[in-house]
Amino acid sequence: MSTTEIPLRRVAYYKGCLASLSAKELDTSTQALAPRVGLELVELESVTCCGAGDIHEAEPDYYVHLNARILAYAEATGCDTLLTVCNVCTLNLRQANHMLQGDSALLARVNENLTTVGVPPYSGGVEVRHLLWEIAEGDGFELLKKAAHKGLKGLKVAPFYGCQILRPSKIMGFEDPDRPWSLERIIEACGGEAIDYPAKIKCCGFPIIAAREETAMGELIQPIEQALEAGADVMVTPCPLCHLSLDAWQQKLEASTGRSFKLPILHLAQLVGVAAGLEESELKFKRHIVDPRPALERLEV
Amino acid sequence: MKVAFKIWRYDSVSGERALREYEIDAPEEATLLDCLDIVKDKHDGSLAYRKSCRMMICGSCGMRMDGAAVLACKTRMYDIANEGRVPTISAMGNLPIVKDLVVDMDPFWAKFMAMKPWLQPGYDQPDDGREYRITQERMNVVHKEALCINCGCCVSECNAMESDPEFLGPQALAKGMRFVGDPRDGAKVERLEQYSQEHGIWDCTRCYFCNERCPKGVDPRDAIAKLGAEAIAHGIDRDMGAKHAKWFVRSAETTGWLREEELIPKTQGYVAAIKQLKFGISLAKHGKVRPIPFPHTAKDVGEARNLHKLVREQDRGGAMGHVQGEKALERLGHGHAIGGDLEEIYARPNAAPRPWLPEVEEKA
Repeated sequence: MSTTEIPLRRVAYYKGCLASLSAKELDTSTQALAPRVGLELVELESVTCCGAGDIHEAEPDYYVHLNARILAYAEATGCDTLLTVCNVCTLNLRQANHMLQGDSALLARVNENLTTVGVPPYSGGVEVRHLLWEIAEGDGFELLKKAAHKGLKGLKVAPFYGCQILRPSKIMGFEDPDRPWSLERIIEACGGEAIDYPAKIKCCGFPIIAAREETAMGELIQPIEQALEAGADVMVTPCPLCHLSLDAWQQKLEASTGRSFKLPILHLAQLVGVAAGLEESELKFKRHIVDPRPALERLEV
Repeated sequence: MKVAFKIWRYDSVSGERALREYEIDAPEEATLLDCLDIVKDKHDGSLAYRKSCRMMICGSCGMRMDGAAVLACKTRMYDIANEGRVPTISAMGNLPIVKDLVVDMDPFWAKFMAMKPWLQPGYDQPDDGREYRITQERMNVVHKEALCINCGCCVSECNAMESDPEFLGPQALAKGMRFVGDPRDGAKVERLEQYSQEHGIWDCTRCYFCNERCPKGVDPRDAIAKLGAEAIAHGIDRDMGAKHAKWFVRSAETTGWLREEELIPKTQGYVAAIKQLKFGISLAKHGKVRPIPFPHTAKDVGEARNLHKLVREQDRGGAMGHVQGEKALERLGHGHAIGGDLEEIYARPNAAPRPWLPEVEEKA
């Protein structure tokens, strides 16, 4: 189907650090998928890291200002939605947005600081939404069903949500954090079979993987082990940080346990991209540590 | 109404474990705790669970419903019964089970006591014997932390504690913040040093289960973030977790984007990071890291740098940066619409009644 038939909705696109750096495959697959699910991505140029929870912890006042700056530049594009492709960016931006929207004194002070350094002021008119939410319901979901014409042919896919797309639910507000459904719905719509396992809503350990590797690995092993036991061919996650720990640190898990896992981990845009027939130049599976191509080969038949 | 649920029964002496189903008649306003009382009174006197106040203040009746920690006395059963759901009730996680729904709280209290949860002397008091008064604004810093009732619902689901049982955990650390942030406490720096050690502030994995489960709105993860901010503001930043966090600040003000390749050496130190060389090479092969760090600089990064200078001059360092957002986030937790102020919200046609507040009455 030609993409020109689909009316596109303009959304500001914040790709964040990982999709700019170690997870470039997330950016290319998102850019390729977007028009097929009705989104025109307006890339933000003058933006920085959201702080990934680390600036929120180290210097919270700077965190609010950095995120306000991102929101201000998103608003300046004239879009009402800021699209994210990372759990951590989503939480950081949504949290700062709620703080600014719900406290006029804070918004006034932050805007004074923003304008002092040459940033346009923020009026509070942007909503931060993850790609997952855009394609799990509404027009995005209808278009996804049409776009996923190649189908996943019964591929067994383990959904891994990670933490900061579900909790705190008062800030995320999209689905029941204990009984989420969005990834499963997308997997099924793409013709895959969603695998269920308890650790799909738990932590991958990534935030402390550099400082407390052993504790983080104790968390990381749970989804990998449980998904394989449940018969998963691949795992999908909406978060590039979860992706990095699940994909790159999996080899360390194999070394420390003496076991072989070899569970391919796909970004959400890649999984849908496979069903939509995106090219390898867009999916860039060669950038993965655990190569997903052998598991996806049978879809070619 | 008919209420049905299953309970994981457990006997630590015999090691027997069994999932039993119960169906009882209960009044429509019944909570889970009321239902357990009915089971114990009328069906099975051997069922063990803790309770005391029945009004969300003693913190005794923490347990899990369908895997999620709840206070039994806060959990109404009406909707669940109407939907025909049959929830599974079990003991809290991360603590040893004594019998049925009763857990051994000793490890919990040991961590609680390790925080020295009392005011330590050493603060400046007025010389003339006048009462030492503190403004509301200064007490707001620990308002949420002071709401904790030690029920353990946050600890039950803590993902970091599941992996490292020695982790002090959300309850103990939130209690720690309650004293670190109290202007009357004389041991702030010593506390921050102690809490910054291994198994402390920097072991939190930010899974946010604690914020999700807390029945009192303490938001323990936010309290841990406040401790991190206070530690760094006081120069207590030797832990790898603190160095990790500071590297994000440094990245934001120099290149805008995270200087990812340097994160591990900046966190662990260049000598320790050599051990990661083989791992680093395996990532470089797939283009995950570039062999020679070549900063990827964001456009107009000077703005981010100048913003940092500006906010540092404005005296909202440490935990104050978090405290300023609490009111707005709290409204969200109470279902208030974003953007509208309270007056506007109370004026809406179906608004909840305005709570009685002495100062509002006086003004009127």
